[in-house]
Amino acid sequence: MSRFIVRRFLSVIPTLFIIVTLSFFLIRLAPGGPFSGEKKLPPEIMANIMRKYHMDEPLVKQYFRYMGDVLQFDLGPSYRYKDQTVNDLIGNAFPVSVMLGTMALGTALLLGTIVGITSALKQNKWQDYAAMSVAVLGISVPAFVVGPILMLIFALKLKWLPTSGWLSSRAGALTLIMPIITLMMPYFAYIARMSRGSLIEVMRSDYVRTARAKGLKESVVIRKHVLKGAMLPIVTYLGPAFSGIITGSVVVEQIFVIPGIGRIFVQSALNRDYTVIMGDVIVYSIILIAANFVVDILYGLLDPRISYK
Amino acid sequence: MPSIDKNNDRATNEFNQYVKPVSLWADAWKRLRRNKMAVLGMWIVAIYMVVTFGAALLPFKSYTEQEMLHINLPPSFKPAGVVALGRLEERKVELEAAITRSGRADLKQDLTRIENEIIQLKGEVDTDPKHKRVYILGTDYLGRDMLARTIYGGQISIMIGLIGTLTAAMIGIVLGSLGGYLGGWVDNLIGRFVDLMYSLPYMLVVIIIMSMLPTGSNSIFVLYIAIAMISWLTISRVVRGQIISLKNSEFVEAARSMGAGSGRIIFRHLLPNSLGIIIIYSTLQFPSFIMNESFLSFLGLGVSAPRASWGTLVSEGVQGMQLYPWRLLVPAVSMTVFLFAMNFLGDGLRDALDPQSKNRN
Repeated sequence: MSRFIVRRFLSVIPTLFIIVTLSFFLIRLAPGGPFSGEKKLPPEIMANIMRKYHMDEPLVKQYFRYMGDVLQFDLGPSYRYKDQTVNDLIGNAFPVSVMLGTMALGTALLLGTIVGITSALKQNKWQDYAAMSVAVLGISVPAFVVGPILMLIFALKLKWLPTSGWLSSRAGALTLIMPIITLMMPYFAYIARMSRGSLIEVMRSDYVRTARAKGLKESVVIRKHVLKGAMLPIVTYLGPAFSGIITGSVVVEQIFVIPGIGRIFVQSALNRDYTVIMGDVIVYSIILIAANFVVDILYGLLDPRISYK
Repeated sequence: MPSIDKNNDRATNEFNQYVKPVSLWADAWKRLRRNKMAVLGMWIVAIYMVVTFGAALLPFKSYTEQEMLHINLPPSFKPAGVVALGRLEERKVELEAAITRSGRADLKQDLTRIENEIIQLKGEVDTDPKHKRVYILGTDYLGRDMLARTIYGGQISIMIGLIGTLTAAMIGIVLGSLGGYLGGWVDNLIGRFVDLMYSLPYMLVVIIIMSMLPTGSNSIFVLYIAIAMISWLTISRVVRGQIISLKNSEFVEAARSMGAGSGRIIFRHLLPNSLGIIIIYSTLQFPSFIMNESFLSFLGLGVSAPRASWGTLVSEGVQGMQLYPWRLLVPAVSMTVFLFAMNFLGDGLRDALDPQSKNRN
């Protein structure tokens, strides 16, 4: 097991290296730059700026300089926000996005399994049909439709909730409700469908029949035998779900004006703020890789049939 | 055991009754037809296809034509001139009330402007054919017909879905069957590459690519490629798995013993047997292509004006949703209905083509 963890951990390094290299050259090779703004700067000033940020050097040299800095956890200065480093920008925004993401995923997991279990136990009754219709709706409607429609109904028409903002504003925790619902919808729906499916399958399996035949109470069978076996596919799904929630939060942060890394990412991509985009990509990749890593290990702990070589 | 009667070439069952031989596809079709939601989904998808791709032949209004007198008209079955006039007169009454109530002289100017517009509109309303138009789904902020815009937006969204699905299926089938059939280092190489691509935050890469494009370039084309490039992963894995499980089966051995080459085995024996699962995954991916494209368009990184996709329309609708909710609701609802239908159809196809599927949920 520990050997597997070490090996799995070491395989992360080349992946991360390739991602950083790829995005570095992808961004640099594109036409336009952070300083090709609305007004043309005099050539001397332009040259000075380029020298200051080492952008007059050959691309390969810039690449090695950047990699060296990244290894020391220095993501460089922002080209647009002159008084802030990328570390500052991301450091401020990161907790916001993580909070939003984990709360959305947590809610999706909790509600999803509850709804899934209910409809599996009430299979082909009205509760089941109602829950599964809601689930298909959740999968079919994209976040950028759910978000604005929620906003239209609950913030603009009924005026129950604030339209946008994040914790610090007057409305406090109320600002969290709509972003979390918008972000969790597809994952909630998917988890509900998945847990229902796998629960039904497990309930028909031999070991559950054995447990029933032993004379165990139905509630004990469900709790001790069915649930444990049925939760496996959901654990595997958590990896993709987490990465989906991260990209999904780009749109949700845009709609509800939340100061997270998703918003910074879109803004810096539009501004061609090279270092900020790079920093964001690195942070996102680390989150993704870490999520998959944790899921792999969890999977092994939950399913004794899986052995790590 | 069913056996073939040599004389009339018809199959009989163990009770010596004649039975029509049922192919896998006919069987699947029968199962699909029994699934009411899937059939409904299929009809909705078919209607969308006919309307969006036949739009040029059907009597819809232009989706680019702007009419300043018809800006932001609500959905209505009345002629546009009447709706616009009614709205102007309402506004006039409001203004007059405001002026008499609070004595605001600064509104006088607005009042005279509106009175002039009313006079102009009254003169035109019976003569000019453009005021006879009916906007059943309202108009947008430039006085363009929402119905036509939603239909043409659907055209682009569905096209992107189709092209993306086809490209993803192509790449996925080729790489998946190569890896699965050849095994060894080829399989390893493709497998590593797929793993790497999976750990890439791919929507972010697409966002970078789209935002780096010089303005005015043909962004739809790049969008097709960008979305297709990252979407073949799942299909290739599925195809690979299917091929590996089939390549040691008896019928492949039989083909090989008869002298069939690798190409023939792959294309005549292995792929047709994987077709069901390829169709399932393609149908289930189709809506996600549309969602991804709209997601980018919503961020302003997708399809550029004058073209519009559903995503562009939704993001335009968000701008004035408090006063003109139909501008958001019309494209949002049309898109949702289509995605809904696609998902039901995909689920139905999965149940029909792969009845023993482990992934039924």
